[in-house]
Amino acid sequence: MANVPLAHYLALAAAMFSVGLAAVLVRRNALVVFMGVELMLNAANLTILAFSRTLGVQEGHVIAFFVIAVAAAEAAIGLAVMIAVFRSRKTINVDEVDALKY
Amino acid sequence: MGWLNAMDPSTGLPQALHWIILMPLIGAVINGLLGKRLGRANVHLIACGAVFASFAISAIALWEVSYGGSTRITELWWHWFTIGNIPVELAFSVDRLTAIMLCVITGVGFLIHLFSTEYMSHDEGYWRYFSYLNFFIAMMATLVLGSNLLVMFVGWEGVGLASYLLIGFWYTDDEKAYAGRKAFIVNRIGDFGFLLGIFAAVGLFGTIDFAELQVAASGLVGSTVLEGGIFNGWTMTAAITLVCLLLFIGATGKSAQIPLYVWLPDAMAGPTPVSALIHAATMVTAGVYMIARLSFLYAYAPGAMAVVALIGAATAVFAALIAYTQNDIKKVLAYSTVSQLGFMFIGVGVGAWWAAIFHLVTHAFFKACLFLGAGSVMHGMNDETDIRKFGGLRKEMWHTWATFLIATIAITGVLPLSGFFSKDAILHAAHVNPNVWYSWVPNTVYFLGLFAALSTSFYMWRMFNLTFNGERRGMKEHKAHESGPAMTGPLWVLSGLTVGAAAWGFPFASGARFERFLSGIFEPANANLQRVLQAGATELGTSLPPAPGHDLAAMLPGYIIALVVALIGFGIAWYLYLGPGKEIPAALVARMPKVYAAFNNKFYVDELYDAVIVRPLKVSARVLWQVVDSFAIDKLVVNGTAVLTGWIAQLFRYFQDGNAQRYAMVMAVSAVAILWVFLF
Repeated sequence: MANVPLAHYLALAAAMFSVGLAAVLVRRNALVVFMGVELMLNAANLTILAFSRTLGVQEGHVIAFFVIAVAAAEAAIGLAVMIAVFRSRKTINVDEVDALKY
Repeated sequence: MGWLNAMDPSTGLPQALHWIILMPLIGAVINGLLGKRLGRANVHLIACGAVFASFAISAIALWEVSYGGSTRITELWWHWFTIGNIPVELAFSVDRLTAIMLCVITGVGFLIHLFSTEYMSHDEGYWRYFSYLNFFIAMMATLVLGSNLLVMFVGWEGVGLASYLLIGFWYTDDEKAYAGRKAFIVNRIGDFGFLLGIFAAVGLFGTIDFAELQVAASGLVGSTVLEGGIFNGWTMTAAITLVCLLLFIGATGKSAQIPLYVWLPDAMAGPTPVSALIHAATMVTAGVYMIARLSFLYAYAPGAMAVVALIGAATAVFAALIAYTQNDIKKVLAYSTVSQLGFMFIGVGVGAWWAAIFHLVTHAFFKACLFLGAGSVMHGMNDETDIRKFGGLRKEMWHTWATFLIATIAITGVLPLSGFFSKDAILHAAHVNPNVWYSWVPNTVYFLGLFAALSTSFYMWRMFNLTFNGERRGMKEHKAHESGPAMTGPLWVLSGLTVGAAAWGFPFASGARFERFLSGIFEPANANLQRVLQAGATELGTSLPPAPGHDLAAMLPGYIIALVVALIGFGIAWYLYLGPGKEIPAALVARMPKVYAAFNNKFYVDELYDAVIVRPLKVSARVLWQVVDSFAIDKLVVNGTAVLTGWIAQLFRYFQDGNAQRYAMVMAVSAVAILWVFLF
C-alpha cells in the first residue's frame, strides 16, 4: 500500500471540518446542523488517526474509538431531542427555537 | 496516713490553698445552675457554707504564717502557659499580708452572706444573688492569693465582673443597669493601665512572679541607665516610675480614686450588703493591696509615691466635701468610702505600708458595719434612703443604733476605737516620712489629710444625727421595725471587731502590734526606701532627718491634733443638726444656692466627664456608625459591589438571545482568533 503523506490527510480533514462548520453555522434545519457536527467530529478523528499512524503510536486509535462512541451517543440523544422539539413546536428550524434567552 | 499529713498545716496547706477559691466558686456554680430549684434554705446553706469553709482555710493559713514557722506558703496549682521564656504559673502564695486580706475577705464576706439571708429574703433573685456573691469571694481570693501579676489580674477582672453583676442586680431598673455598666466601663479604663503596667514590668524585669520581682528589685541603683530591651536609654528610676504609675492607674479605677472614682457612688444601686462587701470592705481596697504587695517596687519611685499620696489626699478631701450635702444614706457612705480609700493611698504613698493595710482592715470592719447598718435602717424603713425623712430611729432600732454609733466613732477617729489608730498612723507617717525629691509632698498631704479627717467627722455625725437622733421628719406614720438576728448578729460582730482591732494599733515603743506583724513583708520595701532616700540626700546635698519614732511619745502631738479635729467635726455637726444652730444649714443653702448646687451635684464631675469624654465618644461613635459603617462600608462597598455586578450583568445578558447558531458563530470566530494569536 502506497504511503499517503500526512499533509494529504490533514488537508482532507481540514476540508471536511470546514464543510461541517459551514453547515453548522449557516443551515437552518437542525438535522443538517447535526450532520455538520458529525462531519466535524469525523474530521477530527481523521486528523488524530493520521498523526497516530505517522508517529506509530496507539493512543490515537483509542481516542478515535471514544469519539465514535460519543458521536453515536450524541446522535441518539440529539435525534431524540429533535423529535421532542418537533412534537411541541412543529418545526426543527433552529432560528425559531430561541425561547431560552434573556 | 496521708490524711493526717494533710491535717498538718505546714504540709497540708500548700495543697489546700486553691480550695479557698474553689469552695465559693463551686458554691457559685451550684447556686447559679440549680439554685432556682434548690429552695432558699439550701441556697443560703451552700453559699454561707462555702464561704465559711474558705474562711476556715484562710484562718488556718493565717495561724500558720503567724505562729507556725513558715513565712510564705506557696502552691503551684498548675503550669498555665509560657510566653517566650517567661513561665506563667497558676500559683498561689500566702504570707502575712495575704493571710490578713484573706481573713478579712472571707470573714467579713461570711458575715455579709449571713446578713443577706435576711435582707434579701423577699427577693426573687435570691439564688442569683448568692451565686454572684460567692463568685465575688472566689475572685477576690484569687486576686490576693495570686503569686504573680497575671493571676492577680485574673482576680482583678473577676471582681470587676462580679461588681458589675451585683450593681446591676435589679436589672429591670434602667438606672441600676446603667450604674452597672458605668462601673464596668470606668474599671476597664483602669484595668487597661494595669495591663500596660504588667507589660512594662515584664519588659523591665522579665518576670511577673512577686517573689522573683522582689529579688530582681533588690539592690538596684536608681541612676543606672538601662541598655537594651524596651527601656533602652532610660534610667532605672524612670522605668520603675512608669511601671508604678501604670499600675496605679489600675488602682485608681478599682479603688475609686481621682480621676476614676465616679463609678463608686453610682454603684450604690446594688443591694446594700453588696455595697458593704464589694464597694466598701474588700474589692475597692484591691488597689491598696496591690501597691502594698509591690511596695518594694514603689520604694524605688519617689515620684510615683508622691503621685499616689497626692491623689490619695486630693481624693480624700474632694469626696469628703461632696459627702457634706448628700442626703442619701448610701451615697454619704459611698463618698466616705472614696475618702477613706484616699487615706489608704496616702499611707502607701508616704511609705507607711503597714498603716495603709491596717486602715484597710479597720475600714473593712467599720465601713461594712456602717453599710449593713444602713441596710438595716432601709429594711426597717421600707427601703427609704433619704436621711431627711429619718430621725429618732434610736428608739425603734436599738441594735442598729448602737452598732452604727460604734462604727461612726471609729470612722471619725475618736479614741479609743480602731479607726483612730489606723487613720492617725497614716497621718503621722505623712507628717514625718521624708520624700527627699518632693519634700513639700508629705506636709501637703498631712494637712489635706487633717482637713479630710475633719470633714469625715462632720458628715458622718451629720448623717448619724439626722438618722438616729432628734425627731422623725418624714414617714411619721411608719413604724420602723428592728431587723432580725441574722442582721443584727453580723452588725454586733463587726462592731466588736471595730473595737477589738484597736489593740493592734496601739503604739508601743517597738511599734504597733500590726506594724510588727507585717514588718517581715515590708522589710525589703523599707530597705529599698532607705537606700533611695539616702542616695537622694547625697545627690541633693541634704541630710536625712532621723528615723521617725512611732511610740506613744512621738505620736502624742499628732494624736491630740487628730482628736481635736475629730471633736471639732462632731461639734459642728451637733451644733448644726441637733443643737441651737438647726436653722443655719437651711439659711446657708438659701444664701448661697449656687454653692449648694455645686456641692449637691458632686461638683459637676459627672457632667464634666460627660461633656469631655462621653459625648465626644458618642459623637465619634455615631460618625463611625452612620458615615463609615452604614454609608461607606454597607452602602458603598458591600451593596455597591452587588449593584455594580447587577448593572454589568444587565448589560451582558442581551448577548444571550437564544439563537444557538449565533453562539456557535461566536465560538468559531473566537477559536479562530485564539488560534491566530497562538500560531502567528
